[in-house]
Parts: sequence; structure tokens; C-alpha cells
Amino acid sequence: MAVTPATSIDRGAPSPSAGVPRFDRHFFDRAPSISRLGEGALGGKAASLARVDQRILPSLDRERFAGWDVGVPRMVVLGTDLFDQFLDHNGLRELALSDAPDDRIAHAFVKAPLPTLQLGDLRSLAREVHSPLAVRSSSLLEDALEHPFAGVYATKMIPNNAAGADARFRALTEAIKLVWASTFFAAPKAYARSIGRDVADEKMAVLIQEVVGRRRGDRYYPTLSGVARSWNYYPIGPAKPEQGLLSLALGLGRTIVDGGVAWTVSPAFPARPMPFGSVGELLRGTQTRFWAVHMGRSERDPLRETEYMVQPDLAAAEYDDVLRHVASTLAGARLVPGVGRDGPRALDFAPILGLPGIPLVELVKELLRLSEAELGGPVEIEFAVDLDPRRGLPARFGFLQVRPMAVHGAGEELPESELSGDDVLLASRSALGNGVIEDIRDVVFVEPSTFDAAKTRAMADEVEAADLRLTGTPYLLIGFGRWGSSDPWLGVPVDWSRIAGAKVIVEASIPGMSPDPSQGSHLFQNLIAFGTLYLTVRSGSTIDWERLRAATAVHAGEFVRHVRLERPLSIVADGRARRAVVRTS
Amino acid sequence: MSENSSFNPYEMARAQFDKIADLLDLDAPARELLRTPLREYHFSVPVRMDDGSVKVFQGYRVQHNDARGPGKGGIRFHPQETVDTVRALSMWMTWKCAVIDIPLGGSKGGVICDPHELSAREQERICRGFVRQLGPAIGPLRDVPAPDVMTNAQHMLWMLDEYETIHGARFPGLITGKPVDMGGSLGRTQATGYGVVYALREALKELGIRPGDTTASVQGFGNVAQYAVELYEQLGGTVVCVSCWDQQDQTSYAFRRTSGIGLDELRSISDRFGGVDKVRARELGYEVLPGEAWLAQDVDILMPCAMENQIHADNVNLIRPSVKVVAEGANGPTTPEADEVLEARGIFVIPDFLANAGGVTCSYFEQVQSNMNYYWEMDEVLGKLDLKMTSAFLAVSELARKKKLFMRDAAYVIAIDRVATACRERGWL
Repeated sequence: MAVTPATSIDRGAPSPSAGVPRFDRHFFDRAPSISRLGEGALGGKAASLARVDQRILPSLDRERFAGWDVGVPRMVVLGTDLFDQFLDHNGLRELALSDAPDDRIAHAFVKAPLPTLQLGDLRSLAREVHSPLAVRSSSLLEDALEHPFAGVYATKMIPNNAAGADARFRALTEAIKLVWASTFFAAPKAYARSIGRDVADEKMAVLIQEVVGRRRGDRYYPTLSGVARSWNYYPIGPAKPEQGLLSLALGLGRTIVDGGVAWTVSPAFPARPMPFGSVGELLRGTQTRFWAVHMGRSERDPLRETEYMVQPDLAAAEYDDVLRHVASTLAGARLVPGVGRDGPRALDFAPILGLPGIPLVELVKELLRLSEAELGGPVEIEFAVDLDPRRGLPARFGFLQVRPMAVHGAGEELPESELSGDDVLLASRSALGNGVIEDIRDVVFVEPSTFDAAKTRAMADEVEAADLRLTGTPYLLIGFGRWGSSDPWLGVPVDWSRIAGAKVIVEASIPGMSPDPSQGSHLFQNLIAFGTLYLTVRSGSTIDWERLRAATAVHAGEFVRHVRLERPLSIVADGRARRAVVRTS
Repeated sequence: MSENSSFNPYEMARAQFDKIADLLDLDAPARELLRTPLREYHFSVPVRMDDGSVKVFQGYRVQHNDARGPGKGGIRFHPQETVDTVRALSMWMTWKCAVIDIPLGGSKGGVICDPHELSAREQERICRGFVRQLGPAIGPLRDVPAPDVMTNAQHMLWMLDEYETIHGARFPGLITGKPVDMGGSLGRTQATGYGVVYALREALKELGIRPGDTTASVQGFGNVAQYAVELYEQLGGTVVCVSCWDQQDQTSYAFRRTSGIGLDELRSISDRFGGVDKVRARELGYEVLPGEAWLAQDVDILMPCAMENQIHADNVNLIRPSVKVVAEGANGPTTPEADEVLEARGIFVIPDFLANAGGVTCSYFEQVQSNMNYYWEMDEVLGKLDLKMTSAFLAVSELARKKKLFMRDAAYVIAIDRVATACRERGWL
């Protein structure tokens, strides 16, 4: 499959609510699995799931994947008209569009009444359903524009297991209102600004969706969640870009969406381990905590997205007996798939990726193929898998999202010889992205002389302040370690919205901070969508720090400096050769 | 009910009951028990007037049947009040609570008086005297009054205060229709009008009609009508005509705009009783027509939300062939003669005591909240109300379909059967 330019990607999802029947107050009892409330648009996520349900999954050869229950988990979509009614009826727009803090907005939303005509439907849903529900955003802008909004808005999981329907109803309605409120939080506002849009244009549909998984004590979670892409921007070893990329995590998908530690492989070489230097590094660099819905008593806090979630460690998963299909055990100096013996566990998914019997990778590859055929270009899918606790199969495969991957066009040729010279500020032999940029004068960089791996949170605040200062002005961002991770020990812990104005991002290494690029994170999807260049400067290559320090300082913080050059930088990236160079003239 | 002396509402209520009793094949004791109130209180309320004189007012409280739960029903202040009217209304309350399936019985009360000629202090003394006379016959677990014709939240609070003074404790569940900050329920104001539309929505679903394709004409522009219009418009429908009483001209007018009325616009030019300013309405592009014109519109839905006896033998034929549904927001808007015509024409009628039961349902919610002294959010109230209304509608329409009954008869069958069953289960029958 060849790369298709972004312009030819078919975003023509079915029209707003076409083909999706009205909710009939029966969530589980009846087909179809997708229904709607209200008459408005379904938003990007819901429309794409309707497409999966109606047009992609019917093509799947079910006999070939016997033992798999593949489907879109049952869901009800609240159309965008209800979002408008809620805002207008309660007079919330002014506050929503103001600079009020997130929790103030959330509070005003949560205490306002929902549109009257839907209350009976929601109440009947709360009365009927006793298992966990995910309340997810489905943004209209995401559908209208070719920009991913993944991870920008809130998703609230509710255990929905209270004995009384009143309590379940309250939790459900609070979750809906929180998701709506999150449209107007500071991060989405910054994000909208960065793509030249006004958050006032946004309309939010909401999905109420069954959570794939099962209850294990006080925790409810699937065996694993995954993100798969049909195009691999990070081909490592023998993998080819068109063979795609698969990231897996134990438990709920929040781990991957948050840019946390996931296990990433090429579907063509699923058993090939990630490039860790040693088993010890692998043990440290793989997932050690996972997300689950908390089925016990949670401290009430309707304004918190994770009110009903917990993030236990692997010992809990071991206790729940879910590691057998997803972990390996360190025996001596090598890893043995499974948990049949004592020893440290590593979440490398070896039993499911390397052993025959549970053809997850084949299934994912087939779904990627079908999704590409339907969407007409490279795609990214999200899913959750719950395996039979003992035998693996039968298993449930919940299809949670499909979206086109933005792919950029023809390459700029940049020979190796261009990477050096007097005017070279920095060069990368591991660049992501493609193109020429000649309008950047501002550089925000983490000062290496004062760098301290324990102070990355403070650096994040300074970076965010610079991003806000530069609103609308493109800039070059340089730092150490992984961008886009929430783990302060892997890099400066900023999410995309806080560095959304950066047009070029440089990941440099410094002793004590040189992890591999975060291939599973949504940050990269955002980078690619925005055509943002991501340049990795490995130890050995240099950055001309002196030239940066000599430039006019706009702001000098404790760890981060913002300088403005007299003339724009010249930046060229060759996506094919993965080379890039930044010159001062 | 009507002030026409030839019309006896109690006789009418009994005649309706007898018809359904035949359908249900009720035995003689059941008929005797259910066509007569269980208890009646007739009493005198002596009141010291502002001029120092003493006047004695006649009061009634009729408890028709409380087999399914404490009695529920309003207290009316009316100069032409009769005990037969109160009896009929208490019987209708029994059926209404039963058809909507809330655990309450039917009661009604009244005082023969004209509040227009009484000062607020005199009215307060009547309220307090009423409670003193009735004594232990009312109570949160016995019989729960509410506002009705010419009584309001203030009257209820005086009565509540007197009751609590006598009993030495707070009993907010004694009475409903209280203001929200004094133990009332959120959603009470909207409940009746919204309830009409919840039932209408389900009716349209059954008839296979998209709400967005419908138009409606509404009689009345008071509380019930306004909230019915509000929710019906949210459902996607278009209201093209509303009518209201003009206090100055002592007649009613209909306001028509075929492109659809503007609810907020009309609210902004109406007084607190729902009377719309004619001059300003004309300026806004409304045709001002005689009151009865509301009935003669080319619409799909008629919603009588004003008074009783509005669709009768003399005007029922004004109803246009386009009309498919009549949703009765008012009590008794259709006379039996007109009913026969509607039935013959195949018009789907959502009968009053089902369609407007949102009000009593929310009163029940208020009582529940008051009894536990814990109050719900709006979402909670309206979500529960929707389910109650929808379930009741579905039960009635299913029976109507199965037994080929007119909707009104089906509703009565369900209600009377439930009450008779409760009496049997208690061992009364």
C-alpha cells in the first residue's frame, strides 16, 4: 500500500445521524448496538463507529476468526443538538467561553439540568444497565477538520454498579455534563487556538458506551487495550512503514492515550522485542501500572475525570490472574513468556504476540486492512480485548475508534553533507516529518547547564508559559527526553495542548535522560497531523547552545529560555531519509 | 367544575364509573364502595373578619378512596363550591393517581368563599381554621392537600404552619405545592405541561408520526400551556396558534401565526395569568382571532390546556380533518358528546387524567422529598417524571389496542381495576 496524500483521504462518514436509530430505552436487550438521542450530528468519533458497525465489520470473515466476538461495544450517542440546548437553556455560553478556571466551568455545568426530553431515556438506561459505562466525547470539529482531537477532551468512566437507580443516574448525568464542560477547559481552548479555530464553533456529541472488560474484585478492566496504525512513522529494524504499528497496554486504553508506557511492535514482527538495551532496562521501561474502573466506593468528586478510576500496579493484575496472556517472567537473564514461574514480570505481551493460539495480530491486521479500504487511506484504530481468563479464547474484541492518519506528501531531499556547516544550529538523523519551514524566529529551549531530571515538572510550567506567550507565533522547542509523556522521569511532562504552538520539536539527550521516542503516544499523531517536525538529536550530535544563548532573551526562566533570533531559521526535513537540519541563515 | 346548575359533576363521575364497572364486570359491593366516597368531612369555619364581625364559612374534605395510599387532592376556594363537585373531583383524583401508578388515593377539599372579597388576613384565618377543624383527618401519611382553584402556595404554607403548630413538629410532607425554598420540589412548575408532551411524544411514536413534521394549536397560555409548548417545540413541533382569556374584555382570543408562534416573545407580552397583549401581538405579526378559532386550525395536534367543557357537541365539528391527536392538558376539556365524535372520527385522544397527571406525579415526588427532608436535582425529578408518564401511557395504549377500547375508557379500566384490586387485597371486598 502506498502513502496517499492527506487530501485524498475519504473523510466522508455517513451524514449526521443517518442510519443510527433512536434509543428505544433498551440498551442491552435489542439490536442494534448503536442508537442515538436527539436529532443533531453524532460527532467524529460516533460517526466513525457507526461506520465501523455498518460498513467495516460486515466485511470481516467471522469464520476465520472463530472464537472472537468482534464488535463496537453497545452505545448511545447524545447528538450535538443536546449540547446546544444544554448550553443555551442554562445560559452557560458566557462562562464557558470566559477564562474561568476548569473546575469553575465544570461546577457550573454539573449543577445545571440536562435537556428535559432526554432525562427519561437516560434514567431508563441507568435503571437497566448495571455494568461500567464510558462517557466519551465525540467532537464535531474533529469530524469537520482533519485534525485529531484525541485525548483533548474528557472521557469519564463510571462503575454504574450502585444498588439504586438514583445513584447510577446521577453519576451518569454528571459524567455527561463533565464531558461537555471539558470542551471549554483551558487545554482544548489552547488546542483550538493552535489550529486557528475558535472553541465557540465546537459542538460536542457524547457517547455512552459499554466498557469491554470484566470485573475482577474491585477492579473492572479488559485484558488489554491497543492502538494500531496501518502506517508506521517509526520503522525500527526490519519493519517497513507500510506494515503498520501496534501498541498494547494492560487494562484500559487510557495508558496509551495518555502517552504512557505501552508495548509497541510492528505487526509484521510481533514477537520482535522493543529495542531495549538490556533486560533490566526492559523491566524498567515497560508498563508497571494500569488503569481500571474502580467498582468499590470512590471518593465523590464529580469534577474529576478519574473519579471512578484506579491505577494499580502489576501485583494487582497478578492477583487478578490476568498476566498469563500478557506478561513474561525474568528467569536468570532471559524472559520466559507467561507467568508459570516466580520472578519479576515484564509486560511484553509475549504470550499473545509470540505464541500461536490467540491470533490477535492477524485480527488487527485484517481490521486495519478493512478500515483502510473503507476510509481510502492509512488509518489508526483503537480497541480493547478481553480474553477468556484461562484459555484466551473465546475473546471479546471491542472496536473503539477508527480515524484516518494524516499523511504528508512528497519528500524534500537532504543529503548527509548538508547536515554540517558553520550555520548549522542542529541536525538530526532521526527526524519525523517532512518539509521546509522558514518563518521561525523564536526558540524555546531547556537550558542544559541547569537541567535536573528531578525538576521536569517545573520545566513543564515554564514551557507552557512560553507557549502561551507565543500564542499564534510558531517556534522551535528544544528539550531533553521524551515529549508527550506524563511521566516526569522520562522527559518534560507536557501534554500536546501545552506545546501546541511549537512547529518544530527537538528531543535531545543528556546524561540521565535519554529514553526512546514515545511511539505509542497521541502526541505523535498530533505532530503528524499538524505537520510538526519532531527531530531527535542523539548523543554524539551537537546543538550549538552558544549561538542560542547569545540570541536576544525574551524570557529567561530558571530552567527554560525563550530567545528571539534576528532572522528566521531555515529548517529542512527529509522524511524519507529521516534527516533534518536547522540553520541560522 | 361547571357552575351550570343543571350539570352535576358527581353524577357525571358516577356515570363514567358505571360504564367502566360494566366493562370490568365488577361485583355489586365493589361498585358500591367505589362509586361513593369512603369519608366526608363537612364543617364550619368561623372567622373573625377584619371589621370585627364573625363569618362562618362552610368547608369540605372528601376522601374518596385511600386503598392505594394516603389521599391526595387540592383545596379549592370558590363561591359556588358544592359538595358534589368536591366528591366528583376526589373520585377523579383516585383514578388519576391510579392510572399514573403512584401510591396515593383520591381526595379533594373546598371552602365556599370568594377570595376576591377577602383580605389576605381573612384568607389566612380561613386556612388556619380549615386545618383546625379537619384536625387529624389530614396528615403526611393520611391525606395530603395541595393548591387548587383560587388557592396558592401561600395558602398552603399557612395551613402547614397551623398543622405543625398543633402537632409540635415539622411535617413538610403534609402538603404539596410549597415554594422550592420551603420544601417544594424543583420541576413542579413545569411538571404538568411537560407531562402532557411526554405522553404526546409517545402517542406520536405509536402513530408513526415524526414530531418534527407536526403542527399544533393550544388552548390556554397559562402555566400548563406554556410548558407544554416549550417542550413540544424542543421535540421539533411547531405551534401555530394559542388562545387565552382576556381579563379586560372578559372573552378569549386566539393568536395565530402560521409560521409558528414565538414562545418567549408571547411570554414577554403576557400578564401573569397568561393573558396576551393584543396590540403588541398584532405588531409582532399575529392574527388575533375569536377564542374558539384555536379549535378550527389545520393542525395535527390539539392541546386543550385551559378549562373544562371546551370541546362540546356544538363546536366539535369545527375540528379540521387534519387533526390526529388531542392531548388534554386541562381537566375535563371534552364533554362525553364531543368524545363520541372524536372516537367516531378516529382521533387519538390522550385523556385528561393521564395527559395532565404530571402535576400530581410531581406533587407525589414533592411529598416523598419532604418526608425524607432531602431534595432532588432537577434532572432527577424530570427523569423520574418522564418514566412515570411514559410507562403509564404505554400501559393505557397497549390495553386500548388489545381490547379495542377508546383511550379514555382504557385509562379508566386500568385505574379502576387497580383501585378495586387494592381494596380486594386489603380484604375490604
